[in-house]
Amino acid sequence: MMTYQDTVAPTGVGGPILRCDGITKAFGGVNAVNGATFEVPRNKITALIGPNGAGKTTVVNLLSGAMKIDSGKVQLGTTDITNLERYKIARLGLMRTFQLSRELGGLTVLENLLVAPKVQAGESLFNIFFRPRLLKREERQNLERALDILQTYGLYDLRDNRARELSGGQKKLLEISRGVMAAPSLFLLDEPMAGVNPALIERIGGYILDMKAQGVTVLMIEHNLNVVERICDNVIVLAEGRTLATGTMKELRENKEVVTAYLGEIINAGPGH
Amino acid sequence: MAQFWFYVFTLVFFLFDYFILAMGLNIQYGETGILNFAYIGFVAIGAYVTGAVSLPNSVGTAQQYIFGFNMPFPFSLLAGGVASMLLAVVVAAITLRRLRTDYLAMVLISLSLVLYDVINNYVRLFNGADGLYNVPQPMAGVLHLTSNAFVVFFACVTGVISLIMWAGMSRITRSPLGRTFRAIRDDPDVASALGKGVFRYQLTSMLIGSFYAGIGGGLLIQFGGSFNPTAWLPGETFVVFAVIIVGGVGNNVGLLMGALLVETLLIHLPAFLPDIPGHPGLIEYIDAMVIGVMLMVMLWFRPQGIIPEKIRRFALPVGELLNRDGHSVEAPVEVASTVTSATSIGETHEGNQG
Ligand SMILES: Nc1ncnc2c1ncn2[C@@H]1O[C@H](COP(=O)(O)OP(=O)(O)OP(=O)(O)O)[C@@H](O)[C@H]1O
Ligand SMILES: [Mg+2]
Repeated sequence: MMTYQDTVAPTGVGGPILRCDGITKAFGGVNAVNGATFEVPRNKITALIGPNGAGKTTVVNLLSGAMKIDSGKVQLGTTDITNLERYKIARLGLMRTFQLSRELGGLTVLENLLVAPKVQAGESLFNIFFRPRLLKREERQNLERALDILQTYGLYDLRDNRARELSGGQKKLLEISRGVMAAPSLFLLDEPMAGVNPALIERIGGYILDMKAQGVTVLMIEHNLNVVERICDNVIVLAEGRTLATGTMKELRENKEVVTAYLGEIINAGPGH
Repeated sequence: MAQFWFYVFTLVFFLFDYFILAMGLNIQYGETGILNFAYIGFVAIGAYVTGAVSLPNSVGTAQQYIFGFNMPFPFSLLAGGVASMLLAVVVAAITLRRLRTDYLAMVLISLSLVLYDVINNYVRLFNGADGLYNVPQPMAGVLHLTSNAFVVFFACVTGVISLIMWAGMSRITRSPLGRTFRAIRDDPDVASALGKGVFRYQLTSMLIGSFYAGIGGGLLIQFGGSFNPTAWLPGETFVVFAVIIVGGVGNNVGLLMGALLVETLLIHLPAFLPDIPGHPGLIEYIDAMVIGVMLMVMLWFRPQGIIPEKIRRFALPVGELLNRDGHSVEAPVEVASTVTSATSIGETHEGNQG
């Protein structure tokens, strides 16, 4: 049977899945991203951390094509995706979530997932009228997979609710599960655990580990360093639009510059924070 | 008596014709979120082209127009639908790629005004302000129909066409394509982040809708035999919007209800009523007011329309409910156990097959 492993888009072998080379983005006078350079290792969970306003969300917007890059270069696998149209980037296997969840409100929870597979035969007028059996088969496969994912994410009972009626936490889950349904090779998560209760944080952590187990590479923005410590293999620290450091959490704690720029208060506040 | 049936079937014709027009606007606006304020322009092109291809060559007639192919029905009608689609390609190329919804709406209004002026003033196209007339009644000659019988006949033809087009439209809106349209309507950014080429789908939706507009327009000129600029004042677009908003955006049955209420009962039925003594034409103004008030009332109290968009439920695969108990979102689940539950996806499938 099909799991999302089977559909992961091939993007070159070995080496980092994403390479980001001195990208910049200015809004008026604000240099939101100012020469960020980093690599995202394949099949790992990488955290993107940094103070508020460091440019993390902007980086995700640039990588996913939601905003134009001023200068610099982004490579996904072996493909140069710098300023490629964003749906084309998505089709290459890069999915993203939004810091403030964006559900497709008029669609049901189930439809939010069903719409996600990148290429569907049922999206062509010709097929709709002349190849109904192909459509049925495809739709049934997608339905099975969507229901599996909804069940895993605890949204199964809400499947026929309109997405706009969900709670904040449920919307977060919906957005993540929708991305999973799209079978990404690289999944960018913008603060997947912001504003959810501790139990749900645990569960989302589990889902992210699951993704890794299934061959998805994850780059997640996260402020909760406990979570980062526990589930992320690698950390990229962004400050004022630049990459300040990369490494494991342990290495970063020993890095003076990082501690003063970002970790300081948190570490000094003692355990449990 | 014959007069009575003439009235009834005229109303029936307008009911089905506006049902078609409403379906076309609904796929664009209701399903895809394209605020097409130029819709009536697409209807007009359908009407003019259908008329101009079914008329004989204009040389030696009192009218001026292009085409003049003596094309028989229903090919003339299809020509109108296709012409309207061609207009959609041009309009989409100019507007859809760059403009956000609100600006798009304004540009579309301007475009429809430009189109109106061109057709009104460039007489050689479709006979300018006089419009086309004497358009032959489809098959009336072959079937030896009197003009009253033709009304009955053509109302039925229009009914059949609208049902076929309804079937086609339902198929589209229920398909994955329709789902993608609605995803784009709800949030084009999310749709493109999911790999949907938004422009391509919007163009597809524009094309489908324009085809419906063109056919609806073509039927108008085939039914009445004439069409001129007074028939498509730019404000007419809002009558079609009223039909879909009153009836229910996103619901095809609702559209039929809307067409019945707005177009048939409010606009065309009063035209058959006797004038209020001493105030000729007053009824028309009251009409326009009633539609306006009705729109406001609907938007205040029932914005989803009389028959709202349905929640699309899916028939579950056999045995589905037995195998799935679905834990609720609140239930805390250990990280470790979640890992196993997700990695057992494959097993769940096997369970289903067994
Ligand atoms: N669309 C925009 N227009 C103008 N300025 C913007 C825009 N998006 C971001 N900025 C600016 O760019 C800078 C970086 O913003 P960004 O959202 O990337 O920060 P962030 O690291 O994600 O912060 P947070 O942790 O608070 O989410 C900020 O100064 C912000 O004001
Ligand atoms: Mg952010």
